[in-house]
Amino acid sequence: MHNDKKEMKWIYEEIVGRIPPFSLLSYKYSILLQLFFLLILGITLGFIFNLKTISLLYGSTAVLVAVLWSLLILQLGPTLRRFRAPLSKDENRLLERYKEILFHRNHYEIIPGIAIFILFMIYLFYYGSDLLEEWLGENPSSILLLFISLLIWDLCYRMGLGIWTSILALWRSVELNSIAEERTELEHTPYTELRSLRRLDINNVFFGIISLLLIPLLQQDQFLVAIIILFTVFIILSSVVSADIISKVPWLPPDIYNLVKEASFAYVGTSFRGIPHTTPVVYVFDGQSVFFNTSKEAKKLKILRNNNKIAFLIDKRDMSNIYENKAVLFTGEVKIYGLLDIPLLFSRMLQARRLFMRKYPEYTRKYSTSQLPRVWQLTPLIARILIEVKPTKIIYWRGAKQISVPV
Amino acid sequence: MRIPDEMLNILYGNYFGYICTSDRIDQPHVVPVFFIYDEQSQKIFFISNDKSKKIKNILENPNVSITVDIRDPLNPFNNEGVMVQGTAIITEKEPIYFLPEETLQLYRDIYMEFKSKYQSVIENKPLGENDIIVQINIRKMVYWRGPHFKSVRISRDGEIT
Repeated sequence: MHNDKKEMKWIYEEIVGRIPPFSLLSYKYSILLQLFFLLILGITLGFIFNLKTISLLYGSTAVLVAVLWSLLILQLGPTLRRFRAPLSKDENRLLERYKEILFHRNHYEIIPGIAIFILFMIYLFYYGSDLLEEWLGENPSSILLLFISLLIWDLCYRMGLGIWTSILALWRSVELNSIAEERTELEHTPYTELRSLRRLDINNVFFGIISLLLIPLLQQDQFLVAIIILFTVFIILSSVVSADIISKVPWLPPDIYNLVKEASFAYVGTSFRGIPHTTPVVYVFDGQSVFFNTSKEAKKLKILRNNNKIAFLIDKRDMSNIYENKAVLFTGEVKIYGLLDIPLLFSRMLQARRLFMRKYPEYTRKYSTSQLPRVWQLTPLIARILIEVKPTKIIYWRGAKQISVPV
Repeated sequence: MRIPDEMLNILYGNYFGYICTSDRIDQPHVVPVFFIYDEQSQKIFFISNDKSKKIKNILENPNVSITVDIRDPLNPFNNEGVMVQGTAIITEKEPIYFLPEETLQLYRDIYMEFKSKYQSVIENKPLGENDIIVQINIRKMVYWRGPHFKSVRISRDGEIT
Protein backbone atom coordinates (compact mmCIF):
# COMPACT_ATOMS: atom_id res chain seq x y z
CA MET A 1 0.00 0.00 0.00
CA HIS A 2 1.21 3.45 -0.81
CA ASN A 3 1.36 5.34 2.43
CA ASP A 4 1.54 8.92 1.20
CA LYS A 5 -1.45 9.94 3.20
CA LYS A 6 -0.64 7.77 6.18
CA GLU A 7 -1.12 9.72 9.35
CA MET A 8 2.12 9.58 11.20
CA LYS A 9 1.16 8.51 14.70
CA TRP A 10 2.62 6.40 17.42
CA ILE A 11 0.71 3.44 18.78
CA TYR A 12 -0.17 4.80 22.22
CA GLU A 13 -1.53 8.05 20.82
CA GLU A 14 -3.37 6.08 18.18
CA ILE A 15 -5.11 3.80 20.65
CA VAL A 16 -6.10 6.56 23.05
CA GLY A 17 -7.15 8.69 20.08
CA ARG A 18 -9.85 6.15 19.25
CA ILE A 19 -11.58 6.37 22.64
CA PRO A 20 -14.18 9.12 23.05
CA PRO A 21 -14.03 11.94 24.05
CA PHE A 22 -10.40 11.94 22.84
CA SER A 23 -11.43 10.70 19.41
CA LEU A 24 -13.52 13.84 18.95
CA LEU A 25 -10.58 16.16 19.38
CA SER A 26 -7.56 16.79 17.23
CA TYR A 27 -4.51 14.71 17.98
CA LYS A 28 -2.73 17.38 19.98
CA TYR A 29 -5.74 18.41 22.10
CA SER A 30 -6.67 14.82 22.76
CA ILE A 31 -3.25 14.24 24.36
CA LEU A 32 -3.61 17.42 26.41
CA LEU A 33 -7.09 16.46 27.56
CA GLN A 34 -5.85 13.04 28.49
CA LEU A 35 -3.10 14.45 30.65
CA PHE A 36 -5.50 16.96 32.13
CA PHE A 37 -7.76 14.06 33.17
CA LEU A 38 -4.76 12.42 34.73
CA LEU A 39 -4.07 15.58 36.71
CA ILE A 40 -7.65 15.87 37.94
CA LEU A 41 -7.72 12.18 38.79
CA GLY A 42 -4.44 12.47 40.67
CA ILE A 43 -5.58 15.45 42.73
CA THR A 44 -8.93 13.78 43.49
CA LEU A 45 -7.22 10.60 44.62
CA GLY A 46 -4.83 12.69 46.66
CA PHE A 47 -7.74 14.22 48.58
CA ILE A 48 -9.59 10.93 48.99
CA PHE A 49 -6.53 9.17 50.38
CA ASN A 50 -5.42 12.19 52.32
CA LEU A 51 -2.00 12.51 50.71
CA LYS A 52 0.52 15.14 51.72
CA THR A 53 0.72 18.35 49.69
CA ILE A 54 4.18 17.41 48.55
CA SER A 55 2.76 14.24 46.99
CA LEU A 56 0.26 16.29 45.01
CA LEU A 57 3.08 18.54 43.92
CA TYR A 58 5.15 15.57 42.81
CA GLY A 59 2.25 14.13 40.84
CA SER A 60 1.50 17.45 39.19
CA THR A 61 5.15 17.88 38.22
CA ALA A 62 5.09 14.45 36.62
CA VAL A 63 1.99 15.37 34.62
CA LEU A 64 3.54 18.71 33.65
CA VAL A 65 6.64 16.95 32.34
CA ALA A 66 4.47 14.54 30.35
CA VAL A 67 2.51 17.47 28.86
CA LEU A 68 5.64 19.41 27.87
CA TRP A 69 7.26 16.34 26.40
CA SER A 70 4.12 15.53 24.44
CA LEU A 71 3.86 19.04 23.03
CA LEU A 72 7.42 18.88 21.77
CA ILE A 73 7.37 15.39 20.42
CA LEU A 74 3.99 15.72 18.76
CA GLN A 75 5.41 18.33 16.39
CA LEU A 76 7.33 15.58 14.62
CA GLY A 77 4.34 14.09 12.84
CA PRO A 78 2.83 17.28 11.39
CA THR A 79 6.25 18.70 10.45
CA LEU A 80 7.27 15.55 8.63
CA ARG A 81 3.88 15.27 6.97
CA ARG A 82 4.36 18.75 5.47
CA PHE A 83 7.87 17.89 4.35
CA ARG A 84 8.40 18.50 0.63
CA ALA A 85 10.34 15.77 -1.13
CA PRO A 86 14.03 16.53 -1.63
CA LEU A 87 15.08 17.02 -5.25
CA SER A 88 17.55 14.20 -4.99
CA LYS A 89 16.58 10.57 -5.30
CA ASP A 90 18.98 9.39 -2.61
CA GLU A 91 18.06 12.10 -0.13
CA ASN A 92 14.41 11.44 -0.75
CA ARG A 93 14.90 7.73 -0.16
CA LEU A 94 16.73 8.43 3.08
CA LEU A 95 14.01 10.74 4.40
CA GLU A 96 11.30 8.28 3.44
CA ARG A 97 13.17 5.57 5.31
CA TYR A 98 13.61 7.85 8.30
CA LYS A 99 9.88 8.53 8.41
CA GLU A 100 9.07 4.88 7.89
CA ILE A 101 11.22 3.75 10.82
CA LEU A 102 10.15 6.65 13.04
CA PHE A 103 6.49 5.77 12.55
CA HIS A 104 6.97 2.10 11.76
CA ARG A 105 3.83 0.01 11.36
CA ASN A 106 5.31 -2.53 13.80
CA HIS A 107 5.58 0.34 16.28
CA TYR A 108 9.15 -0.22 17.37
CA GLU A 109 9.02 3.17 19.05
CA ILE A 110 7.29 1.60 22.01
CA ILE A 111 10.20 -0.76 22.80
CA PRO A 112 12.49 1.67 24.66
CA GLY A 113 9.48 2.94 26.63
CA ILE A 114 8.45 -0.57 27.68
CA ALA A 115 12.03 -1.45 28.60
CA ILE A 116 12.39 1.66 30.76
CA PHE A 117 8.99 1.04 32.36
CA ILE A 118 9.71 -2.59 33.25
CA LEU A 119 13.16 -1.86 34.62
CA PHE A 120 11.90 1.08 36.63
CA MET A 121 8.93 -0.83 38.08
CA ILE A 122 11.18 -3.72 39.10
CA TYR A 123 13.58 -1.30 40.69
CA LEU A 124 10.80 0.60 42.43
CA PHE A 125 8.94 -2.39 43.85
CA TYR A 126 11.64 -4.98 44.47
CA TYR A 127 14.80 -3.16 45.31
CA GLY A 128 13.59 -1.52 48.39
CA SER A 129 13.70 1.99 47.18
CA ASP A 130 12.06 4.40 49.63
CA LEU A 131 10.58 6.36 46.82
CA LEU A 132 7.09 4.85 46.99
CA GLU A 133 6.85 5.74 50.64
CA GLU A 134 8.12 9.24 49.94
CA TRP A 135 5.50 9.73 47.25
CA LEU A 136 2.45 8.00 48.70
CA GLY A 137 3.10 7.48 52.38
CA GLU A 138 3.12 4.12 54.16
CA ASN A 139 1.01 1.22 52.85
CA PRO A 140 -0.58 3.01 49.93
CA SER A 141 -3.86 1.74 48.58
CA SER A 142 -3.78 -0.38 45.45
CA ILE A 143 -5.84 2.24 43.61
CA LEU A 144 -3.06 4.73 44.26
CA LEU A 145 -0.47 2.22 43.12
CA LEU A 146 -2.42 1.62 39.95
CA PHE A 147 -2.67 5.34 39.33
CA ILE A 148 1.00 5.96 39.91
CA SER A 149 1.87 3.08 37.61
CA LEU A 150 -0.17 4.78 34.91
CA LEU A 151 1.67 8.01 35.50
CA ILE A 152 5.02 6.24 35.46
CA TRP A 153 4.05 4.53 32.24
CA ASP A 154 3.17 7.88 30.70
CA LEU A 155 6.60 9.23 31.57
CA CYS A 156 8.57 6.12 30.64
CA TYR A 157 6.80 5.84 27.32
CA ARG A 158 7.70 9.42 26.43
CA MET A 159 11.24 9.05 27.69
CA GLY A 160 11.50 6.09 25.34
CA LEU A 161 10.13 8.19 22.51
CA GLY A 162 12.73 10.84 23.30
CA ILE A 163 15.53 8.31 23.00
CA TRP A 164 13.99 6.79 19.89
CA THR A 165 13.56 10.12 18.08
CA SER A 166 17.00 11.44 19.12
CA ILE A 167 18.88 8.40 17.88
CA LEU A 168 16.95 8.37 14.61
CA ALA A 169 17.47 12.11 14.12
CA LEU A 170 21.20 11.77 14.64
CA TRP A 171 21.36 8.86 12.21
CA ARG A 172 19.29 10.81 9.64
CA SER A 173 21.50 13.91 9.92
CA VAL A 174 24.75 12.00 9.55
CA GLU A 175 23.41 10.07 6.53
CA LEU A 176 21.90 13.16 4.90
CA ASN A 177 25.14 15.07 5.27
CA SER A 178 27.15 12.29 3.69
CA ILE A 179 24.64 11.68 0.86
CA ALA A 180 24.60 15.42 0.14
CA GLU A 181 28.27 15.24 -0.79
CA GLU A 182 27.37 13.02 -3.74
CA ARG A 183 24.86 15.43 -5.22
CA THR A 184 25.08 16.40 -8.86
CA GLU A 185 23.71 19.38 -10.79
CA LEU A 186 20.48 20.54 -9.19
CA GLU A 187 19.96 17.86 -6.56
CA HIS A 188 19.23 19.18 -3.09
CA THR A 189 16.87 19.25 -0.14
CA PRO A 190 15.05 22.60 0.08
CA TYR A 191 16.24 25.07 2.71
CA THR A 192 12.86 25.28 4.45
CA GLU A 193 12.87 21.54 4.97
CA LEU A 194 16.43 21.48 6.30
CA ARG A 195 15.46 24.22 8.71
CA SER A 196 12.41 22.36 9.92
CA LEU A 197 14.54 19.27 10.61
CA ARG A 198 16.87 21.49 12.56
CA ARG A 199 13.97 22.95 14.51
CA LEU A 200 12.85 19.44 15.46
CA ASP A 201 16.34 18.77 16.78
CA ILE A 202 16.24 21.97 18.81
CA ASN A 203 12.87 20.84 20.20
CA ASN A 204 14.61 17.70 21.37
CA VAL A 205 17.19 19.78 23.23
CA PHE A 206 14.31 21.28 25.21
CA PHE A 207 12.93 17.80 25.67
CA GLY A 208 16.21 16.91 27.37
CA ILE A 209 16.21 20.02 29.56
CA ILE A 210 12.63 19.40 30.72
CA SER A 211 13.58 15.99 32.12
CA LEU A 212 15.57 17.83 34.79
CA LEU A 213 12.22 18.72 36.36
CA LEU A 214 11.99 15.10 37.47
CA ILE A 215 15.03 15.38 39.74
CA PRO A 216 13.15 16.72 42.80
CA LEU A 217 10.85 13.69 42.61
CA LEU A 218 13.79 11.32 42.68
CA GLN A 219 16.15 13.22 44.97
CA GLN A 220 15.99 10.43 47.58
CA ASP A 221 17.69 8.10 45.19
CA GLN A 222 21.13 9.12 43.94
CA PHE A 223 21.15 6.34 41.39
CA LEU A 224 17.93 7.47 39.70
CA VAL A 225 19.05 11.11 39.76
CA ALA A 226 22.23 10.03 37.98
CA ILE A 227 20.14 8.16 35.39
CA ILE A 228 18.03 11.26 34.73
CA ILE A 229 21.12 13.41 34.32
CA LEU A 230 22.62 10.84 31.99
CA PHE A 231 19.38 10.80 29.99
CA THR A 232 19.35 14.61 29.79
CA VAL A 233 22.95 14.78 28.67
CA PHE A 234 22.37 12.07 26.09
CA ILE A 235 19.29 13.74 24.57
CA ILE A 236 20.82 17.23 24.56
CA LEU A 237 24.14 16.10 23.15
CA SER A 238 22.73 13.95 20.39
CA SER A 239 20.22 16.64 19.39
CA VAL A 240 22.80 19.42 19.37
CA VAL A 241 25.13 17.31 17.25
CA SER A 242 22.27 16.41 14.91
CA ALA A 243 21.18 20.07 14.56
CA ASP A 244 24.77 21.09 13.91
CA ILE A 245 25.22 18.48 11.19
CA ILE A 246 21.94 19.50 9.54
CA SER A 247 23.04 23.12 9.49
CA LYS A 248 26.13 22.03 7.57
CA VAL A 249 24.16 20.37 4.77
CA PRO A 250 24.35 22.77 1.82
CA TRP A 251 20.88 24.05 0.95
CA LEU A 252 21.88 25.02 -2.57
CA PRO A 253 22.27 22.37 -5.27
CA PRO A 254 25.89 21.96 -6.46
CA ASP A 255 25.40 23.85 -9.74
CA ILE A 256 24.18 26.95 -7.93
CA TYR A 257 26.50 26.44 -4.96
CA ASN A 258 29.53 26.46 -7.26
CA LEU A 259 28.31 29.46 -9.23
CA VAL A 260 27.75 31.43 -6.02
CA LYS A 261 31.10 30.28 -4.63
CA GLU A 262 33.09 31.13 -7.77
CA ALA A 263 31.55 34.32 -9.14
CA SER A 264 32.98 37.66 -8.06
CA PHE A 265 30.13 40.10 -8.57
CA ALA A 266 26.42 40.32 -7.98
CA TYR A 267 23.71 42.78 -8.93
CA VAL A 268 21.48 44.07 -6.23
CA GLY A 269 17.99 45.16 -7.20
CA THR A 270 15.97 47.17 -4.70
CA SER A 271 12.75 49.11 -5.02
CA PHE A 272 10.99 51.78 -3.02
CA ARG A 273 7.65 53.37 -3.93
CA GLY A 274 7.80 51.61 -7.27
CA ILE A 275 11.18 53.02 -8.29
CA PRO A 276 13.71 50.22 -8.90
CA HIS A 277 17.43 50.64 -8.35
CA THR A 278 20.30 48.34 -9.43
CA THR A 279 23.96 48.28 -8.46
CA PRO A 280 26.82 45.81 -8.72
CA VAL A 281 28.33 44.62 -5.45
CA VAL A 282 31.03 42.29 -4.23
CA TYR A 283 29.77 39.54 -1.93
CA VAL A 284 30.86 36.49 0.02
CA PHE A 285 29.24 33.11 0.58
CA ASP A 286 30.06 30.94 3.61
CA GLY A 287 28.32 27.86 2.24
CA GLN A 288 25.07 28.84 3.97
CA SER A 289 24.51 32.57 3.69
CA VAL A 290 25.29 35.28 1.17
CA PHE A 291 26.59 38.60 2.50
CA PHE A 292 27.43 41.91 0.90
CA ASN A 293 28.74 45.16 2.26
CA THR A 294 27.49 48.59 1.56
CA SER A 295 28.49 52.08 2.49
CA LYS A 296 26.36 53.77 5.08
CA GLU A 297 25.82 56.55 2.55
CA ALA A 298 24.65 54.26 -0.24
CA LYS A 299 21.28 54.76 -1.85
CA LYS A 300 20.52 51.04 -1.76
CA LEU A 301 20.91 50.98 2.01
CA LYS A 302 18.43 53.83 2.36
CA ILE A 303 16.02 51.96 0.11
CA LEU A 304 16.52 48.67 1.96
CA ARG A 305 15.83 50.32 5.30
CA ASN A 306 12.44 51.34 3.89
CA ASN A 307 11.71 48.16 1.98
CA ASN A 308 13.86 45.16 2.79
CA LYS A 309 12.84 43.20 -0.31
CA ILE A 310 15.70 42.38 -2.60
CA ALA A 311 16.61 40.75 -5.90
CA PHE A 312 20.16 39.43 -5.89
CA LEU A 313 21.56 38.18 -9.19
CA ILE A 314 24.84 36.32 -9.58
CA ASP A 315 25.95 35.38 -13.07
CA LYS A 316 28.74 34.05 -15.19
CA ARG A 317 28.74 35.82 -18.52
CA ASP A 318 30.68 34.96 -21.62
CA MET A 319 29.90 36.53 -24.98
CA SER A 320 31.82 33.84 -26.87
CA ASN A 321 29.45 31.14 -25.71
CA ILE A 322 26.19 32.38 -24.31
CA TYR A 323 24.77 28.88 -24.06
CA GLU A 324 27.24 28.24 -21.27
CA ASN A 325 26.11 31.31 -19.37
CA LYS A 326 24.76 30.68 -15.91
CA ALA A 327 22.87 32.92 -13.56
CA VAL A 328 21.03 32.60 -10.31
CA LEU A 329 18.51 35.05 -8.93
CA PHE A 330 17.65 35.10 -5.25
CA THR A 331 14.57 37.07 -4.39
CA GLY A 332 13.55 37.61 -0.83
CA GLU A 333 14.48 39.86 2.03
CA VAL A 334 17.61 41.13 3.70
CA LYS A 335 18.92 41.33 7.21
CA ILE A 336 20.81 44.54 7.84
CA TYR A 337 23.41 44.07 10.58
CA GLY A 338 23.76 46.81 13.15
CA LEU A 339 25.29 47.52 16.54
CA LEU A 340 22.53 45.56 18.27
CA ASP A 341 23.58 42.38 16.51
CA ILE A 342 27.09 42.42 17.96
CA PRO A 343 26.34 40.47 21.16
CA LEU A 344 24.67 37.53 19.42
CA LEU A 345 26.06 37.57 15.91
CA PHE A 346 29.57 38.88 16.39
CA SER A 347 31.26 35.69 15.22
CA ARG A 348 29.09 35.65 12.10
CA MET A 349 30.02 39.25 11.33
CA LEU A 350 33.67 38.54 11.92
CA GLN A 351 33.50 35.48 9.73
CA ALA A 352 31.93 37.51 6.90
CA ARG A 353 34.70 40.07 7.22
CA ARG A 354 37.34 37.35 7.07
CA LEU A 355 35.73 35.92 3.95
CA PHE A 356 35.77 39.36 2.32
CA MET A 357 39.44 39.76 3.05
CA ARG A 358 40.20 36.34 1.62
CA LYS A 359 38.04 36.71 -1.50
CA TYR A 360 38.97 40.28 -2.36
CA PRO A 361 42.45 40.86 -0.90
CA GLU A 362 43.18 43.64 -3.40
CA TYR A 363 39.91 45.36 -2.64
CA THR A 364 40.55 45.24 1.06
CA ARG A 365 44.05 46.61 0.59
CA LYS A 366 42.95 49.42 -1.72
CA TYR A 367 39.92 50.30 0.33
CA SER A 368 42.11 50.68 3.38
CA THR A 369 43.94 53.74 2.13
CA SER A 370 42.91 56.67 4.18
CA GLN A 371 42.44 59.29 1.44
CA LEU A 372 39.27 57.64 0.25
CA PRO A 373 36.00 59.54 0.25
CA ARG A 374 33.79 58.69 3.20
CA VAL A 375 31.49 56.56 1.06
CA TRP A 376 34.26 54.07 0.44
CA GLN A 377 35.85 53.81 3.83
CA LEU A 378 36.00 50.37 5.32
CA THR A 379 35.48 50.84 9.04
CA PRO A 380 32.97 48.11 9.84
CA LEU A 381 29.60 49.20 11.26
CA ILE A 382 30.55 52.86 11.15
CA ALA A 383 31.10 53.27 7.44
CA ARG A 384 30.36 49.81 6.05
CA ILE A 385 27.16 47.92 6.74
CA LEU A 386 26.94 44.16 6.47
CA ILE A 387 23.83 42.80 4.76
CA GLU A 388 22.68 39.21 4.54
CA VAL A 389 20.44 37.97 1.73
CA LYS A 390 17.57 35.74 2.87
CA PRO A 391 16.07 34.21 -0.24
CA THR A 392 12.51 32.99 -0.39
CA LYS A 393 12.69 32.13 -4.08
CA ILE A 394 15.50 30.96 -6.35
CA ILE A 395 15.55 31.03 -10.13
CA TYR A 396 18.42 29.53 -12.04
CA TRP A 397 19.36 29.86 -15.70
CA ARG A 398 21.66 27.64 -17.66
CA GLY A 399 22.04 28.88 -21.23
CA ALA A 400 18.50 29.78 -22.23
CA LYS A 401 16.85 27.35 -19.84
CA GLN A 402 15.11 28.73 -16.80
CA ILE A 403 14.62 26.55 -13.76
CA SER A 404 12.83 27.47 -10.57
CA VAL A 405 14.52 25.88 -7.58
CA PRO A 406 12.52 25.38 -4.36
CA VAL A 407 14.00 27.05 -1.31
CA MET B 1 24.45 69.76 -22.21
CA ARG B 2 25.49 66.52 -23.84
CA ILE B 3 25.68 63.09 -22.26
CA PRO B 4 29.25 62.74 -20.90
CA ASP B 5 31.54 60.53 -23.02
CA GLU B 6 32.22 58.15 -20.13
CA MET B 7 28.53 57.25 -20.05
CA LEU B 8 28.35 56.85 -23.82
CA ASN B 9 31.41 54.59 -23.82
CA ILE B 10 29.82 52.31 -21.27
CA LEU B 11 26.42 52.21 -22.94
CA TYR B 12 27.79 51.63 -26.43
CA GLY B 13 30.67 49.37 -25.47
CA ASN B 14 28.98 46.64 -23.43
CA TYR B 15 26.79 43.67 -24.19
CA PHE B 16 24.97 42.95 -20.97
CA GLY B 17 22.56 45.12 -19.08
CA TYR B 18 21.00 44.18 -15.74
CA ILE B 19 17.42 45.22 -15.67
CA CYS B 20 15.57 45.66 -12.42
CA THR B 21 11.79 45.77 -12.40
CA SER B 22 9.45 45.63 -9.45
CA ASP B 23 5.89 44.51 -8.99
CA ARG B 24 2.88 46.01 -7.25
CA ILE B 25 4.22 45.16 -3.80
CA ASP B 26 7.70 46.55 -4.49
CA GLN B 27 9.38 43.16 -4.81
CA PRO B 28 12.36 43.75 -7.12
CA HIS B 29 13.51 41.36 -9.83
CA VAL B 30 16.85 41.48 -11.72
CA VAL B 31 17.84 39.74 -14.95
CA PRO B 32 20.58 40.21 -17.53
CA VAL B 33 19.41 41.38 -20.97
CA PHE B 34 20.91 42.26 -24.34
CA PHE B 35 20.14 45.88 -25.07
CA ILE B 36 20.81 48.75 -27.42
CA TYR B 37 21.17 52.38 -26.50
CA ASP B 38 20.10 55.26 -28.74
CA GLU B 39 21.61 58.60 -27.90
CA GLN B 40 19.34 60.56 -30.26
CA SER B 41 16.11 59.61 -28.52
CA GLN B 42 17.66 58.84 -25.11
CA LYS B 43 16.15 55.40 -25.14
CA ILE B 44 17.27 51.88 -24.33
CA PHE B 45 15.67 48.96 -26.13
CA PHE B 46 15.59 45.31 -25.25
CA ILE B 47 13.69 42.30 -26.52
CA SER B 48 11.87 40.01 -24.18
CA ASN B 49 9.43 37.15 -24.17
CA ASP B 50 5.95 38.44 -23.34
CA LYS B 51 5.49 35.76 -20.67
CA SER B 52 8.57 36.75 -18.71
CA LYS B 53 8.46 38.05 -15.17
CA LYS B 54 10.00 41.39 -16.16
CA ILE B 55 7.21 42.04 -18.67
CA LYS B 56 4.60 41.15 -16.07
CA ASN B 57 6.28 43.56 -13.68
CA ILE B 58 6.48 46.34 -16.26
CA LEU B 59 2.75 45.98 -16.93
CA GLU B 60 2.19 46.47 -13.19
CA ASN B 61 4.83 49.15 -12.73
CA PRO B 62 6.57 50.80 -15.71
CA ASN B 63 9.47 52.18 -13.67
CA VAL B 64 12.69 50.30 -14.36
CA SER B 65 16.37 50.56 -13.68
CA ILE B 66 19.13 49.12 -15.85
CA THR B 67 22.80 48.86 -14.96
CA VAL B 68 25.63 48.38 -17.42
CA ASP B 69 29.12 48.03 -16.04
CA ILE B 70 32.71 46.92 -16.42
CA ARG B 71 33.99 44.99 -13.48
CA ASP B 72 37.53 44.34 -12.39
CA PRO B 73 37.91 41.60 -9.79
CA LEU B 74 41.33 42.89 -8.76
CA ASN B 75 41.06 46.63 -8.60
CA PRO B 76 37.86 48.30 -7.44
CA PHE B 77 39.17 51.63 -8.75
CA ASN B 78 38.72 50.29 -12.27
CA ASN B 79 35.08 49.37 -11.73
CA GLU B 80 33.02 51.52 -13.96
CA GLY B 81 29.37 51.58 -14.83
CA VAL B 82 26.14 53.39 -15.52
CA MET B 83 22.84 52.96 -13.80
CA VAL B 84 19.87 54.14 -15.82
CA GLN B 85 16.47 54.85 -14.35
CA GLY B 86 13.45 55.41 -16.51
CA THR B 87 10.03 54.26 -17.60
CA ALA B 88 9.38 51.33 -19.87
CA ILE B 89 6.89 51.27 -22.71
CA ILE B 90 5.68 48.14 -24.38
CA THR B 91 4.58 49.32 -27.79
CA GLU B 92 2.19 46.58 -28.77
CA LYS B 93 1.37 43.29 -27.19
CA GLU B 94 -0.07 41.82 -30.34
CA PRO B 95 1.06 39.34 -32.93
CA ILE B 96 3.55 40.99 -35.20
CA TYR B 97 1.25 40.92 -38.30
CA PHE B 98 -1.28 43.26 -36.72
CA LEU B 99 1.17 45.99 -35.84
CA PRO B 100 0.84 49.41 -37.49
CA GLU B 101 3.40 50.22 -40.16
CA GLU B 102 5.37 52.70 -38.03
CA THR B 103 5.73 50.25 -35.15
CA LEU B 104 6.82 47.60 -37.59
CA GLN B 105 9.41 49.99 -38.96
CA LEU B 106 10.66 50.66 -35.44
CA TYR B 107 10.82 46.90 -34.84
CA ARG B 108 12.80 46.40 -38.04
CA ASP B 109 15.24 49.20 -37.22
CA ILE B 110 15.79 48.04 -33.68
CA TYR B 111 16.09 44.47 -34.75
CA MET B 112 18.72 45.36 -37.35
CA GLU B 113 20.64 47.16 -34.68
CA PHE B 114 20.42 44.21 -32.36
CA LYS B 115 21.65 42.03 -35.16
CA SER B 116 24.67 44.16 -35.81
CA LYS B 117 25.52 44.48 -32.12
CA TYR B 118 24.95 40.84 -31.21
CA GLN B 119 25.94 39.31 -34.53
CA SER B 120 27.87 36.43 -33.05
CA VAL B 121 25.02 35.44 -30.81
CA ILE B 122 21.70 35.88 -32.53
CA GLU B 123 22.91 35.14 -36.07
CA ASN B 124 19.88 35.00 -38.33
CA LYS B 125 17.30 34.06 -35.76
CA PRO B 126 14.13 36.03 -36.56
CA LEU B 127 12.00 37.69 -33.88
CA GLY B 128 9.92 34.99 -32.25
CA GLU B 129 6.17 35.00 -31.99
CA ASN B 130 6.25 35.88 -28.31
CA ASP B 131 9.05 38.41 -28.54
CA ILE B 132 8.26 42.00 -27.81
CA ILE B 133 10.40 45.07 -27.89
CA VAL B 134 10.56 47.16 -24.76
CA GLN B 135 11.61 50.82 -24.93
CA ILE B 136 12.95 52.58 -21.89
CA ASN B 137 12.68 56.34 -21.76
CA ILE B 138 15.73 57.40 -19.80
CA ARG B 139 15.06 59.87 -16.97
CA LYS B 140 18.25 59.65 -14.96
CA MET B 141 21.73 58.19 -15.37
CA VAL B 142 24.40 57.75 -12.72
CA TYR B 143 27.96 57.01 -13.80
CA TRP B 144 30.72 55.79 -11.51
CA ARG B 145 34.36 54.97 -11.80
CA GLY B 146 35.90 53.71 -8.59
CA PRO B 147 34.61 55.99 -5.86
CA HIS B 148 33.74 58.88 -8.18
CA PHE B 149 30.20 59.59 -9.31
CA LYS B 150 28.54 61.72 -11.96
CA SER B 151 24.88 61.95 -12.83
CA VAL B 152 22.55 63.46 -15.43
CA ARG B 153 18.81 63.95 -15.59
CA ILE B 154 16.82 63.98 -18.78
CA SER B 155 13.57 65.89 -18.78
CA ARG B 156 10.51 64.81 -20.75
CA ASP B 157 11.35 67.17 -23.60
CA GLY B 158 14.86 65.75 -23.85
CA GLU B 159 16.73 68.44 -21.96
CA ILE B 160 19.84 67.14 -20.24
CA THR B 161 20.90 68.59 -16.89
